[in-house]
Amino acid sequence: MPSTKTEFLAPTSIDEALQAISYEDAIFLGGGTSTALLYKTRLIEPSRVVWLGALRDLSGISISKNEIRIGSMVSMSKISQSNELSQLVPALTTAAGVIGNARVRAMATIGGALAHADPRQDVPPALIALDAVVATKSSGGSREVPLAEFYEGFLETVLAESELITEVKIPVVANRRSAYLRYTPTSEGDYPTVGVAASVTYDSNNKAIKDVRIVLCGVGQTPILATDSAQKVIEGNANPESLREAANLVKQAVDPHDDERGSADYKREMSEVFTLRALRECLA
Amino acid sequence: MKINFTLNGKSAEIDADPMAMALDVIRDLDLTGTKEGCGVGVCGACTIMVDGEPVSSCICVVGTLQDREVWTVEGISEKMPDLIEKFIDNEGMQCGICTPGQIMAAAAISSVDITSEEDIKKYMAGNLCRCTGYQTILNAVEDYLAIN
Repeated sequence: MPSTKTEFLAPTSIDEALQAISYEDAIFLGGGTSTALLYKTRLIEPSRVVWLGALRDLSGISISKNEIRIGSMVSMSKISQSNELSQLVPALTTAAGVIGNARVRAMATIGGALAHADPRQDVPPALIALDAVVATKSSGGSREVPLAEFYEGFLETVLAESELITEVKIPVVANRRSAYLRYTPTSEGDYPTVGVAASVTYDSNNKAIKDVRIVLCGVGQTPILATDSAQKVIEGNANPESLREAANLVKQAVDPHDDERGSADYKREMSEVFTLRALRECLA
Repeated sequence: MKINFTLNGKSAEIDADPMAMALDVIRDLDLTGTKEGCGVGVCGACTIMVDGEPVSSCICVVGTLQDREVWTVEGISEKMPDLIEKFIDNEGMQCGICTPGQIMAAAAISSVDITSEEDIKKYMAGNLCRCTGYQTILNAVEDYLAIN
């Protein structure tokens, strides 16, 4: 346990939370699955912790004709068990349902997951493949950042220190399919060696492909958006050859490192294998 | 800081550092059924139930339990005697260190949709048994779900 006393506040409104965070090295606490660990091991010693769980405004999911809005304090278990979401955005519900273990999924929040910015996390690639946008508030106002432009490096995002993620917005796109696949050679609860999210959007006749997104985790400092691979799939209208070419091209987009989940070469190979499988699942 | 919550069905007020981990606070209340295993939220030995869902008490900041409904293995043993009986019937334990966590995970299993044996395995996968006595644990959980 850290030796210095850390103040604990549980604001009940966004304004209160923004006021509370503007203090020395205060930090926000969501579900705590990452923050409590960092705190316990003294990797962080904040003067004040601002817990967001008492803030009811951040805990809802709303779905309209054009947009899904998920409050930043919504848990992974709630996301993974939403039937409505699994119809509209299966890549997201699949990713949310395979994180860690049941206890992590019950505690971990979508806002916390994005702010943490560990490149091995399952949910960010799914959300990027679905064109998600992060909405934030700070004392300076509010802004919206596409998740594809949110990550700057390992554990680093564009968020300012006192900026609060309020919600994640996902467009509801007609004729879009999505899938998420992960590969864990070790235990079920581990981070993946590689995870691949794919989305494929067809035109209004449901015949020609107009948009493809392929996003990988575990194989770089941030989630990797494989745009050249996606372009191949569009050009070939997802014929079998285009899928194989796209999967092969992924090896040039990723930037993996050796660790206990595999060597860099192995991760590159698995990126190809799982990209192909994710695309096939998306198109099935 | 004073923290008020429901503990094993009764209202409780404790005076604790809100940044202490729930595991330590609960054990200091002489509820020592909750065990520390890995200490990093991986093994499941310290599982408690918060608002019906399983939580790793070793990485749960106790201040976040304000106004919530908390169950430990002591309370669940009284509330769900059938579950305990199924663990005994099936010999769903070996050395016993993971058993309270296994029971708490099983007790919280109704918080998710379970439609197959595979679902039970995936759900229970978060609770490690270093004796590797998984089959008898799964048998106990399946038996329990069959009667509930």
